[in-house]
Amino acid sequence: MGTFETVNPGDQPVWVNTDNCKACDICVSVCPAGVLSMKYESTSTLGAMISVDHPESCIGCNDCELNCPDFAIFVADRKELKAAGVSFAKLTDEAKVRQEAIVANNYMTLEGA
Amino acid sequence: MAFNYDKYLRIEKMPTLWCWGCGDGVILKAFVRAVEKMGWNQDDVCVVSGIGCSGRFSSYVDFNTVHTTHGRTVAYATGIKLANPDKHVICVGGDGDALAIGGNHTIHGCRRNIDITFIIINNFIYGLTNSQTSPTTPKGMWTVSQKAGNIDPTFDTCKLGVAAGASFVGRESMLDPKKLEKLFVKAFEHKGFALLDVLSNCHINLGRKNKMVSAMDNLKWIDSITVSKKKYDTMTPEEQLNLLPTGIIHQDTEADEYCDMNEEIKKVHQGQRAKISQDDFAKKI
Amino acid sequence: MAATREVISTGNELAAIAAVDAGCMFFGGYPLTPSSEVMHVISDLLPKIGGTAIQMEDEIAGICAVIGAGMSGVRALTATSGPGMSLKAENLGLAQMAEVPLVCVNVMRGGPSTGLPTRVSQGDILQSKNPSHGDYKSITLCAGNLAECYTEVVRAFNIADRFMQPVIVLLDETIGHMHGKADLPTVEDVKAGIVPRKKFTGPAEEYHPYECGPSDPAVLNPMFTGYRYHFTGLHHDKNGFPTEEIETCRKLIQRLEDKVEVHKDEVESYEEFMMDDAEFMILAYGSVSLAAKEAIRHLRKDGIKAGLFRPITIWPSPAEKIKEHTDKIDNVLVVELNIGQFHGEVQRAAARLDIEGLFKVNGRPISPYEIVTKVKEII
Repeated sequence: MGTFETVNPGDQPVWVNTDNCKACDICVSVCPAGVLSMKYESTSTLGAMISVDHPESCIGCNDCELNCPDFAIFVADRKELKAAGVSFAKLTDEAKVRQEAIVANNYMTLEGA
Repeated sequence: MAFNYDKYLRIEKMPTLWCWGCGDGVILKAFVRAVEKMGWNQDDVCVVSGIGCSGRFSSYVDFNTVHTTHGRTVAYATGIKLANPDKHVICVGGDGDALAIGGNHTIHGCRRNIDITFIIINNFIYGLTNSQTSPTTPKGMWTVSQKAGNIDPTFDTCKLGVAAGASFVGRESMLDPKKLEKLFVKAFEHKGFALLDVLSNCHINLGRKNKMVSAMDNLKWIDSITVSKKKYDTMTPEEQLNLLPTGIIHQDTEADEYCDMNEEIKKVHQGQRAKISQDDFAKKI
Repeated sequence: MAATREVISTGNELAAIAAVDAGCMFFGGYPLTPSSEVMHVISDLLPKIGGTAIQMEDEIAGICAVIGAGMSGVRALTATSGPGMSLKAENLGLAQMAEVPLVCVNVMRGGPSTGLPTRVSQGDILQSKNPSHGDYKSITLCAGNLAECYTEVVRAFNIADRFMQPVIVLLDETIGHMHGKADLPTVEDVKAGIVPRKKFTGPAEEYHPYECGPSDPAVLNPMFTGYRYHFTGLHHDKNGFPTEEIETCRKLIQRLEDKVEVHKDEVESYEEFMMDDAEFMILAYGSVSLAAKEAIRHLRKDGIKAGLFRPITIWPSPAEKIKEHTDKIDNVLVVELNIGQFHGEVQRAAARLDIEGLFKVNGRPISPYEIVTKVKEII
């Protein structure tokens, strides 16, 4: 059983609590910018785990956090993030294309396995 | 993070026992966010749930919580609310809990228009007990109790609520958590019985044998059968046949609320007003 | 001798008045002959003092509303008859499991099923012992005269709060509808005798409602007072959350049994009428005991030394006291308006198979004459 306690790293646009993630793919499917994907994880129940591959592309839309059933992914508060010297990105075509590729890859990561 | 979920959750109970991708978790999140918007004190809130996957809702939230017998959520909540009319009482139940065994209590909660919000998590199946037909399971789908195909017609939860007298009836799905959160807030703000049909996905029980194996497939199906009330109202009956309108279906802010009327009864018995008569009501029958 | 006041009323009305005097602030019920008058009377009394009486949509909703009110911390009452008890069974079980105090008045009528709605019986004795499935210990009281329709309901509320569970108070149609004089304790004495449920007063983080000694009831603080916990009908841990852990489940059931069994002397109540020199023991309860007392007066005039043992607390049964008498007296006759429901318990308590029975099941009361005749037959 996980510890729900999620620590806000303070300078990340999006972060995850892998103790709570059940690898349902929903966050990956709703991200517009190809920030997230699933990576293979032999010790997790479904054999996969959420991975934040491209945090630099995160636009702060909050869809992943709102659609996650398990309190496993969180998006920073815009002001708090700015205070740490980080900004959300703007949505680029490259990010959109990457997202389409991730979905076509059954939500699995495009990075080397 | 922008939102402090820790405050409202019993975090030692996490992760939830719901299946991966189950809509119950999304609804729980929207609920918690809506409560925060209301600014309620946690000690003033009571969440009553029934039996089923949705019934486990109450054990995850840090309020005064009750896990009742199957179908009796509204009856328990009526007792709690009448004994403590200034507190906030919310019921959570599944489609089977609210519309099958609990149908009568749901109807009378609506009829009394008591100030309770009833969140019906409608996943179109009996989930916890593994795939039996519920009063909202679409005809023709496979269920474990009707493997030849479901012949049971379905309830339209919202039409039922309106006919039974609920003064606030709404429907959303967990496809759009932002809209869902707004609906919760509107329902909490409303004084009277708020019946909410919250569509959820059960890809493990309903979906798996009905060609919706993944959570995403199930969500696509829910998307295909829902349309905003605004658009729905412009459609022909043929177009409307296989669609459910979402949004606020019905709201009457003038309807008498039951706890208020109960206070009037106390006033009569304490000599503070005349007996209640037919003349007190516009609708006399 | 405590002061008393004379009241003229019916059994049902006295039950309603007793509840209000004992601090009841919520009633939830449904009309069912012959108990409806309890609801009619209390629906006028409660709103006067700021309480609520509600007629729910069915018997099940009635008990659920009462349990909800009880969970929120309020003394709550329901009233019904046999068919209503059958409907309430599942939720009475939840009240036992979650340890919610409430009082359920059952004005017994001819059964089973629809039976004889306007006629008397005592056919719900065994049902009161185990209205719901599973293991738990019922506390059931039985009023044997008009005054007890009042005093037993008052006692029931205190017992419910002491043991944190439903208490069933049995009336029967005869006593429920009987109109006459009753000598009642004063309202001041009743109010002074109210013992509310125990409450935890420490910091909320240290509060564990279901963590208590092996023969103690749960300590359930009222809702909305800063102590948030969970009620469920599932097996639960010390904070009320569902669990299937082996030892926790075993201890919970054992505690539900022991919390009553170990302290049953606190609820035991019976009357011994002319038992000191009795050579013939009659055992009767409820309205039948009134006929039995009259029969005993007749028998005594005829030289037969009969006496009455009248259980007032039916469950847990006064088994040891019964055995004390049955060990000394050969002729024992159980008189009841059912086919022998308490008779079986008397045989079990006495460890004898030769206990006599006078049973009537056709909805008519048993007359003193019938009892006298039966006693003389046996001798």
